Amino acid sequence: MEVSTQSTIQADVKTQVKNKKSTLLSRLRENRVTYLSLWFLVLIHIVVFLGPFLWTVNPEDLQQAGALAGWSLQHPFGTDDLGRDVFARMLTGGRVTLVVGLGAMLCSLLIGTVIGACAGFMGKVVEAVLMRLTEAMMAIPTFFFVLVALTVIGTSPLMVVLVIAFSSWMEIARVVYGETLKWKQYEFVEAANASGATPFRILTRYIIPQIIPSIIVAGTLTIAGAILTESAISYLGLGIQPPTATWGNMLQNSQQYIWTAPILGVLPGIAITVVVLAYNFLGDGLRDALDPKFVKK
Amino acid sequence: MLRFMINRAGQSAILLLIVTLITFFLVNLAPGGPSSTMRMEATEEERQAIVEKLGLDQPVHIRYVEWLKNGLHGDFGTSFTSSEPVIQRIMERLPYTIELTIFTIVISVILGIFFGVISAVKRGKVGDHVINFVSVIGLSVPAFWLGLMLILLFSITFKWLPSSGVGPRGEDFELWGWISHLIMPVLILTTTVLPHIVRFTRSSMLEVTSQNYIRTARAKGAKESVVLYVHALRNALIPIITIIGMLIPRLLSGAVITEAIFGWTGIGTLIIEAARGRDYPLVMGITVMITLVVVFCNLIVDFLYSRVDPRVKNV
Amino acid sequence: MKSKKLKILSLFLLSFVLLFSGCNYGGGSSSTTSSGEGSEETTNGPRKGGKVTIPIVADPTFNPWHPIAYAESNVINRVIFSGLTQPGKDLLPAPDLAKDWSTSEDGLEWTFILRDDVKWHDGEKFTAEDVAFTFNEVALNKELGANNSSYFQKLKEVQVVDDYTVKFILESPVAALPAYLSFNTEIIPKHIFEGQDPWELTSFNKQKPVGTGSFKIKSYTSGQSVVLERNDDYYGEKAYLDEVEYKVLADANTHVAQLLSGELSIFALDDLAAIDRIKNAEGVEVVARDTTRFFWIILNQQLEQFQDVKVRQAVLHAIDRQNIIDTVLKGYGTIADTGIAPALKEYYTDDVKRYEYDPEQAKKLLAEAGLKDTNGDGLLDKDGKKFTIDFKIGIQGDIEAVSQMVQQYLKAVGLDVKLNTMEWNAMIQDVVVKRNYEMSLNWWRYPSDPDLSAYMHSANVKGNNIPAYQNSELDKLLDAGAQESDVEKRKEIYLEAQKMMAEQLPYIFLWYPQEAQVRVEKLKGVPDLAFGDALHYINEWYIEE
Repeated sequence: MEVSTQSTIQADVKTQVKNKKSTLLSRLRENRVTYLSLWFLVLIHIVVFLGPFLWTVNPEDLQQAGALAGWSLQHPFGTDDLGRDVFARMLTGGRVTLVVGLGAMLCSLLIGTVIGACAGFMGKVVEAVLMRLTEAMMAIPTFFFVLVALTVIGTSPLMVVLVIAFSSWMEIARVVYGETLKWKQYEFVEAANASGATPFRILTRYIIPQIIPSIIVAGTLTIAGAILTESAISYLGLGIQPPTATWGNMLQNSQQYIWTAPILGVLPGIAITVVVLAYNFLGDGLRDALDPKFVKK
Repeated sequence: MLRFMINRAGQSAILLLIVTLITFFLVNLAPGGPSSTMRMEATEEERQAIVEKLGLDQPVHIRYVEWLKNGLHGDFGTSFTSSEPVIQRIMERLPYTIELTIFTIVISVILGIFFGVISAVKRGKVGDHVINFVSVIGLSVPAFWLGLMLILLFSITFKWLPSSGVGPRGEDFELWGWISHLIMPVLILTTTVLPHIVRFTRSSMLEVTSQNYIRTARAKGAKESVVLYVHALRNALIPIITIIGMLIPRLLSGAVITEAIFGWTGIGTLIIEAARGRDYPLVMGITVMITLVVVFCNLIVDFLYSRVDPRVKNV
Repeated sequence: MKSKKLKILSLFLLSFVLLFSGCNYGGGSSSTTSSGEGSEETTNGPRKGGKVTIPIVADPTFNPWHPIAYAESNVINRVIFSGLTQPGKDLLPAPDLAKDWSTSEDGLEWTFILRDDVKWHDGEKFTAEDVAFTFNEVALNKELGANNSSYFQKLKEVQVVDDYTVKFILESPVAALPAYLSFNTEIIPKHIFEGQDPWELTSFNKQKPVGTGSFKIKSYTSGQSVVLERNDDYYGEKAYLDEVEYKVLADANTHVAQLLSGELSIFALDDLAAIDRIKNAEGVEVVARDTTRFFWIILNQQLEQFQDVKVRQAVLHAIDRQNIIDTVLKGYGTIADTGIAPALKEYYTDDVKRYEYDPEQAKKLLAEAGLKDTNGDGLLDKDGKKFTIDFKIGIQGDIEAVSQMVQQYLKAVGLDVKLNTMEWNAMIQDVVVKRNYEMSLNWWRYPSDPDLSAYMHSANVKGNNIPAYQNSELDKLLDAGAQESDVEKRKEIYLEAQKMMAEQLPYIFLWYPQEAQVRVEKLKGVPDLAFGDALHYINEWYIEE
């Protein structure tokens, strides 16, 4: 008996979610900027991840054309200060930058979701400790610690991902916390609780699936932030180090050529801006589409 | 109120302790040592002599306890890279960062509330879209890249603004010299916080204008501008104050980059120098100072919050 | 309407800026004193007045011996203070505080006759006591770990003979002593430092230094600038300039921007990316200057796989050094064969074994050293195992760019080089302190003397001989050169030593970088020396109107 009611409720919620999903897509389609951003991002990921297989010039090789060669068929964006193909570096650099962004997003999602969900679900002392911790982390200028940490520990790609994640999980934790509190009160969760399901099972099977949309929104905006942070620490020379190219360190390296070859800095700068812009628009659009308060008349 | 303050002070103290503990062990256990011991030409003997002189031959935990003891008495030691008291070094630089951030906050709050209200009032119209679009762009441009482009444009091409420095100070003070040095750094720092304030003001205004009492005010035939600026904005201000509180850490972080681009000799450039030079006492001093500033700002924000919204009775 | 307003505004701004830049050197014209040296003043000759502005990258420390006095302090300290000697215009040691010097027959005693007309900036008289104090109490005090004290490892003590004569007592002969005494080893005042911890005396080191140089401190603002003013009691020719300002500007781009806008007068351009822009600018000139520096790659000689000289020779053949010089150094460098730079005209020779860019030869040498590609992956293996090289470098100046090119050249001959770019202090810890590295790239700068024992003598394996290179024959030549004070005999010894260095490659010598000295054309009287050395003659600099 109990089991059946529970499953019907669950099915109910599932269809609700399904409906929500389909309206979500149509709502997204309504918002042209968001829709455009989504497709643009898909395109840029394809270019950056598949591009190096088609454009087979090694981004680290020194080219015959020499340093700072102009744009040509052979080198569509010319060569950089050491004589490497800029186009190839833009492609592989983009790959690293986007992977760092995604990686940092996943890590902070993990940290944020665990902390937010635990705090929201367990309540009491756990809630107090975790949420005070989250607030404290939000209150301190983490960038200072990021700087100190990267300076003294070093800058492998993994470190960069972890350090960015470490400084950007708080927003996600708060969103997840709020949502968990909300869903905890639903009947099907209480029913599951009454039926003796373990807290872990309730969290992973019943609550977290409901808050996935909010997590996606937060995650999208986190990627945007992570890419910007990566470029900022690269600017200070603390990001991923050459010869590995990233848009951030290409930009940093171009600084010294601001006098003689400013174009070197323009390309990665535009690439970062456009990708971050698209992620921000997508995140905003998703949030509006999910938030009933902001539905257009 | 008193209980609230005590509670907050306790929380802040624990926060401070944790922050210092992490930072201390992080910098002390990291590879490399103070620059004076890491000169390429220095011999083993010279290195050893300096390590002993700096007291770095003691184990880290003992040094932390020692540091904490002295710190509680207000003594943050002397900087490794200059032999001057840490407090003095921070106080030399702090005014510049404060100057930069205050200008930025004032400008961002004025412009942010202005554009946020417009955006809310013109909701769904062209004005709203333009403001929103520009805000998102502002959030998406890497600040330092924008800075470099501005330098390229205004300093290199047009030669209108100086590319670097804080301008003439003290005896040589000159109004234009001062302002011209401030323009680009403030502009860059503003782009990092302004969009947040605009967006937050907008959503806050929208929330408030949908409330009953605003409808009542409208129904009573109050002028639209009165409704907006007297009734709605006042209530919308409450969340805006909190977001300003939350933006302070962001502002300080943005200041690091801005200071680096424009050679603005504030706290941001100091912490980079300190971390590079493994100036442990200085890193610790700045950490404590920054945390205190942020804690203090949050207290003020909470206080203002209670003043603006009489319904909030300091929980 | 709007655009008109904008135009007016921009014109307004522009005029302000122009006014500004006009003022920079204008200060001199207002305070020019056309009295006094009237006889010397012709229309084209040097005039009194004006100021020069020099960039420094960080806050300085006004104490040449302080362990935290780096390059930014050196360029100030050699103007405020004076040493016993200074680099001559031919780079041989020339008199400064010491009028004359001589060495005993056995080379174990050097006697320096001091000037008797020197006053400290606070009016006290300079005497032999100051010299003895500087060396006995500061440089030789082991507990202090003073800067540059490693030059004086053989120095036992400094004896005061009379008020104006000192004797340097050595354990073994050091022919380079006068050269060392001209290199960041200025004399500090005993009457201020006596009884004080020389590192903790911040009222001196950070606020008001008292020296004997041609300029004295006027003001110092941390993070902003140091202003020096002419010392009218200077013992030598009084300076023409009224003031020297050092501006603290961390960023190299800013140096270029401020040079172009006339806010800076002279400096050595470290980052050559902007060189073309500067060359094309009006009112600014660039001159190339030889320096006593050499860039190198080292392979850790404590590791067995790098001990075969053929591996080192192959590395040198594999790298297109001229291309790196052209690309990264924009031509400001000469291919190096040994460590003795062309700046040391007396000793330099290129009549030694030279290594052309020849990847085929490199591959051949590597094959002879037992490195072969056995599994066909294009990379070399040794004894059936992958041969990889961990290439650790620190982030500074050109090193990162150069290393990336080197890595590509070595890959081209099949060497699997992993570039590991590290933060500077962490690199020093690993490479220099712990010697935990396989390959590294860096450079040395040394006093104007050919004695390179510090860098390659087997006695210094724990010191600056970072590759831990050991060769008793080279040791003998280095010892002989270090002790021989007869220039002709020394030349012969170092000719021999250079042949051996080129053959054996204790360091894989890359190039002798040239300094790109950039300065405004109005600045005259700067001798044809590297910027750092030219500072010793700042009293001869003047601004041409």
